[in-house]
Amino acid sequence: MVSLSRSETLQALEAGKRRRQLQRLLVAYGFLLPAFAFFLVFLIIPLIAVVYLSFTSYNIVTPPQWVGLENYARLLQDPLFWRGLRNSFIYLVVTPILIVLSISLAIVVNRKLRGIFIFRTIYYIPAVTSVVAVGMIFEIVFAEPSGLINGALLALGIINRPINFLTHPDSVLISIMLVTIWRGIGFYMVIFLAALQAVPEELYEAAAIDGANRFQQHLYITVPGIRPSIIFVAIISSISALKVFEEIFVMTNGSGGVLDSALTLMFYLYRQAFVNSSAGYASAIAVVFTLITLGFSIANLRFLERGTRDNR
Amino acid sequence: MTTASLTAARLRRAKRLRRWFANTGWYLVLISFALLTVVPFLWTALMSVRPTSANIFRPGRAPEIIPYPGLIGWGYGQDEARREGSYTALPWDSSLPEGTRYGWWRDFTPTFSESFKRIGLDQFAFPATTVNYYRVWTQVSLPRYFVNSFIVAVSVVMLQLLTCSLAAYPLSKMRFRGRDAIFYLILSTLIFPEQLTLIPSFIISVNILGLANTLQGLIIPFGTNAFGIFLLRQTYQSIPDELIEAARMDGASEIGIWWRILLPLIRPGLATLAIFSFIGSWNSFLWPLLMIRQEQLYTLPVGLAFLEGAFSGNLRTVAAGIMVATVPIILVFLLFQRQFVRGLSGAVKG
Repeated sequence: MVSLSRSETLQALEAGKRRRQLQRLLVAYGFLLPAFAFFLVFLIIPLIAVVYLSFTSYNIVTPPQWVGLENYARLLQDPLFWRGLRNSFIYLVVTPILIVLSISLAIVVNRKLRGIFIFRTIYYIPAVTSVVAVGMIFEIVFAEPSGLINGALLALGIINRPINFLTHPDSVLISIMLVTIWRGIGFYMVIFLAALQAVPEELYEAAAIDGANRFQQHLYITVPGIRPSIIFVAIISSISALKVFEEIFVMTNGSGGVLDSALTLMFYLYRQAFVNSSAGYASAIAVVFTLITLGFSIANLRFLERGTRDNR
Repeated sequence: MTTASLTAARLRRAKRLRRWFANTGWYLVLISFALLTVVPFLWTALMSVRPTSANIFRPGRAPEIIPYPGLIGWGYGQDEARREGSYTALPWDSSLPEGTRYGWWRDFTPTFSESFKRIGLDQFAFPATTVNYYRVWTQVSLPRYFVNSFIVAVSVVMLQLLTCSLAAYPLSKMRFRGRDAIFYLILSTLIFPEQLTLIPSFIISVNILGLANTLQGLIIPFGTNAFGIFLLRQTYQSIPDELIEAARMDGASEIGIWWRILLPLIRPGLATLAIFSFIGSWNSFLWPLLMIRQEQLYTLPVGLAFLEGAFSGNLRTVAAGIMVATVPIILVFLLFQRQFVRGLSGAVKG
């Protein structure tokens, strides 16, 4: 009798617990629902759709038609796709430059100097200015022959013909890369600065006692100390270099540069999808592009991980 | 005794001198880099107040890099002011033909060029003008682009704060089946570049939801943000569980706990997310470029990009447009920079 009532109460308790658990589950999913709705419509469905579309011929107006691997076969033989791929990889050169420059700058602004906050603020200004505005500012700086650089160099007699920053096929991409570097340094500097401030001061003192000069101190203490930030910056800046679009669009006035010389993968995707109305083909570009960036971030991680292991 | 203190003083002075020299070196580095950052902006500002297309740098002559007040004013009537030195007519002056020659203009060139000649700087100076700003403000609907960008950015911020703070609460403070799986699923979406989903998102927005040529079309697709959920989850976790337990004991509903207790406590996280999503939305370019065909609905970056076409390469007017578009956001940044930088480094460390 006693034991029965006890198991009954246990059962009741169990049922109550289960009911509460269910209730908690419903409440939790209720909180997640609004975000989930947006994810579903603008992320999950598009993720599936883009893979499907990459196997179709689709001009956005009439329904897509299944063409199998045709788009991917076409990619292999499309010289502009290879040009875009090559230019996107050339663009990756900005990543090591950005890392070295922004770490150096972070080391400088990490010194306790009077008024250092003013400098930190100034260096961050390009990062809050839109890419479009920065691109246009540099069109004015690069202008021929009255821009800042050409005007000054011509007046000083250093050159007698304007430099074709944005009008020569060999220089367009490099000029735009310079702009990306200019805009990125301050942003990455702040990330490295936060990491630097977490490196213990005593390590430097110990190294100084051991006779390490300042460069060695930074090489053997700073760099390993901020490795996670370096990995983070290497990944995000490589991915944003591979997917560069806005700078190209603005600084070539939507043309992709003289003779498509500054055509990148993303720019080609944009052109195929929204100028040439071949959304199926563009979807194939998007899928290949994603595979490349995925592989890249994994490779990047592996590389830096191996470095950590060697150091131990 | 005296000699000892003397040497000590000398040593101290030498040390101070050495430190000063060392710091000077650092300041030189800092200043030259600051110039590298600021000069492109200053160049644009200088171009935006240029009255003529004459080069600022001219071979064999001094560069004209000091602006002084020249033809200053707002409205039509610049030509009259240039001829007569000044022009004032109020917009409600009924004697004027409609829509023409109103405003206030004054040509300060003679007064200031004299004083610059007196101090011998006249070859470096040129009369600055507001004409380019007036032109860009009236002929391109920059004010409207501004309002559009603002409406979109504020709406995106509100929507993201709502959806992210709702979603991050159970992910950090409730125990339920599938919690960790959902969290890692959300995190893993950050791997995919937004370009991957660009085409289907565009098709869904335009063909199914009918969002083409609407400001909603620039807001709704950005209704939530995986990074924001991640960020706010970190913030929620800093709140002690006892606080929530106590509120539950008192019979508060979960939504009441979220709204009345948690939201005020996660304000720093909300502020960081707000700043990020505001800047992201304010500066976004490709999506509005695709969604908006009507000039009236352009956002600022799209309007800016078309500015060049509108003024067929008149760099001075384009420069004025750039200034109008960038200076407000830079001012906002300078006002909030402390929260901004703290938020950014916190987010990265998180």
